[in-house]
Amino acid sequence: MKRLVLPIFLVVALFVTTGFAQNLTLGFTVSNTGALNVDSVEQLHGFELWRDQVNAAGGIKAGGKSYKIQFVSYDDESNTKRVQQLYSRMVLQDKADFLFSPYSSSLTATAAIVTEQYEKIMLTTGAAEGKTYTLGNHYLFQMFTPGAEYLKGVLDMLKTKDPKAAVAFVYEDASFSVAVVNPAKEYAQKLGFNVAFSEAYAPNTTDFSAIIDKVIASKSTVLLGGGHYADGSTLARQVYSHKVPLKMITLLVAPDSPQWGELGDAAVGVIVPSQWEPQTTFKAQYGPSGADFAKAYTAKYNTPPSYESAGGYASGLILQRAIEQAGSIDTAKVAAALNATDITTFYGRSKFATEANQHGLQVGHAMVLAQWQKDKSGKLVKQVVWPLAAKSANLVYPIH
Amino acid sequence: MILRRPVFWLILVFAALMAFIPFHANDVSMREDLILVALAVILASNLNLMIGYTGYVNFGHIVFYGLGGYVGLYLATVRNWNLVLAALAAGLVVSLFALALGMGILRLRGAYFALATIGVLLAVQSFVANFDPWGRSTGMYVDFSAYQRLGGARHALWMTYFLVIGVMALSMILSLGIKISKFGLGLFAIREDEDAAVVLGVNTTVFKAIIYSVSAFLPAVAGALMFYKNGMIDPSIAFEFMLSLEGIVMLMLGGKGTVVGAALGGGLYEKLRSYLLTSPKLSNFQLVIAGALLLLVVLFAPGGLIGWLYRLVPRARKVIE
Repeated sequence: MKRLVLPIFLVVALFVTTGFAQNLTLGFTVSNTGALNVDSVEQLHGFELWRDQVNAAGGIKAGGKSYKIQFVSYDDESNTKRVQQLYSRMVLQDKADFLFSPYSSSLTATAAIVTEQYEKIMLTTGAAEGKTYTLGNHYLFQMFTPGAEYLKGVLDMLKTKDPKAAVAFVYEDASFSVAVVNPAKEYAQKLGFNVAFSEAYAPNTTDFSAIIDKVIASKSTVLLGGGHYADGSTLARQVYSHKVPLKMITLLVAPDSPQWGELGDAAVGVIVPSQWEPQTTFKAQYGPSGADFAKAYTAKYNTPPSYESAGGYASGLILQRAIEQAGSIDTAKVAAALNATDITTFYGRSKFATEANQHGLQVGHAMVLAQWQKDKSGKLVKQVVWPLAAKSANLVYPIH
Repeated sequence: MILRRPVFWLILVFAALMAFIPFHANDVSMREDLILVALAVILASNLNLMIGYTGYVNFGHIVFYGLGGYVGLYLATVRNWNLVLAALAAGLVVSLFALALGMGILRLRGAYFALATIGVLLAVQSFVANFDPWGRSTGMYVDFSAYQRLGGARHALWMTYFLVIGVMALSMILSLGIKISKFGLGLFAIREDEDAAVVLGVNTTVFKAIIYSVSAFLPAVAGALMFYKNGMIDPSIAFEFMLSLEGIVMLMLGGKGTVVGAALGGGLYEKLRSYLLTSPKLSNFQLVIAGALLLLVVLFAPGGLIGWLYRLVPRARKVIE
């Protein structure tokens, strides 16, 4: 018996010092099918990389315990119809402790009410629309810079280069792009730009020639707008083939994709407002550096991370830090820690609004502007051109 | 008399059980599953009035659901109406719209009518996407405080559930009522041979417009309730063509032209999709399996499940209508 005392003591001591590894369940839906598939899966890869790295390091340590992360997720089919059913299921049947949002603003808006109903925290990523946060929530925390800010940086940059530019807005008539363009139009007028033309096109538009003729007739020198990948890439191609004399083209979302380079000459000079780029060099106070993240991501998925992937990873990181700070996985304590969060990670600064009328809105994160440029060998690459403090190359203006 | 029909009582028992079981067990997860089943039954039953009873294929049936959602949400959130009143008003407005529209497009027959219904769907979607009071393409959101007025989000969602179950029961009773009425006989006459029906004295244009309008009412009420529960509406989710097609599939699965068939098809289809989607083993193949099953039904049981049952047990016709 005496011989057993020491081993038993050692085992008990080991458990006491390291804590019992418990499971922490995170729930979210992924668009495995449907129109949002590409972006949604990139976001998922960000979540997964974070989970694997944390679990490999022994889990999240809080209050003397360590928590291994496990995921529960379902296919939302890129459709809001089942989002509430699936999120309720994850909370009630799968006992998810915390939630991540689906990809896209409208799916996230639909999931938001579930967080209120069951008092569960949801970090929202891939959802830039800001309206959801003004409806009186308590448990939402937005990782993306809100839509209203997307084009402000471009206009600020343009102001320094060409304050007399005539601006045309050509954008997809869908909730995200409209939410981006409307405030941008007001901001452009405030900065004293001449908004020479503005028109929304139907989603799925494939022939832009009529709109392009109007842009030419309006004598606009700068084009801002777009929407998602399919329409944005078609618009860029047709603007190029019509030889529209533009000095600057900025499109939403689409040019962030690595595929953009396949457009060849039509891709050159196009700018995209981005939540994050691999070249940005924020000094991370917490978590890996941008270079480490990009390296691990590329090694695992054989493709460089997009800003959706970075947003996914950063959501995990911010939640992890809040749990550590709270020393518990109790919702109220973690929510308080998230409300108090003001930290810079590889993804940039994250801070959430705490006022009741806009709770959870991202107020700390700033966007960067990336421009497709030819490097010395003639290869197309994306360079960060704004803000100046984070730039990896100078802005090419005018592009032609 | 509708009260003498066994199916009438079956419908009431079925609806009461659907309302009672999840509430008694306080099982919200079951409620979320069942509300989608109820929605499927509502859409399939009302579509059945057009396709099953009258023989007119409506590809744009979802337009009533989406418009109802818009009118209902506008009244409930912007105008601060009581939810029930807003939903009823949505039903009424959309029915009147359908009546006016039906007088025009129901002069078309067969494939031309089917095409026109797709046109209506696209036209309404474009209109709504450019209509300022309804938020154009960004849509409308429900402020969380609206749920507070109904006693908090939990309570409000239960209430919406009971209302949707009520609409489901009404949809089935409406189907039954029309089926056993003289009006229903007129519709069947149109389905079998429209020209012969005219000769027999059926005012086909008016009959068709009325049934088109009636088939719009309850889906519109359901739209108002469902989008209120959803928390937001925008044109892409309100007027989803896929959901229109799914309605037709549900009808084929259960057996068109019968009250129970439409409901059964709706319920089963939704349960099947929801099971496949969340099953850990099958979720990657869910669309393939659903497609294969439907193909089997169409090939081997063209009358749907109820048609198959009738063939097996001819007496069932008297009880299961």
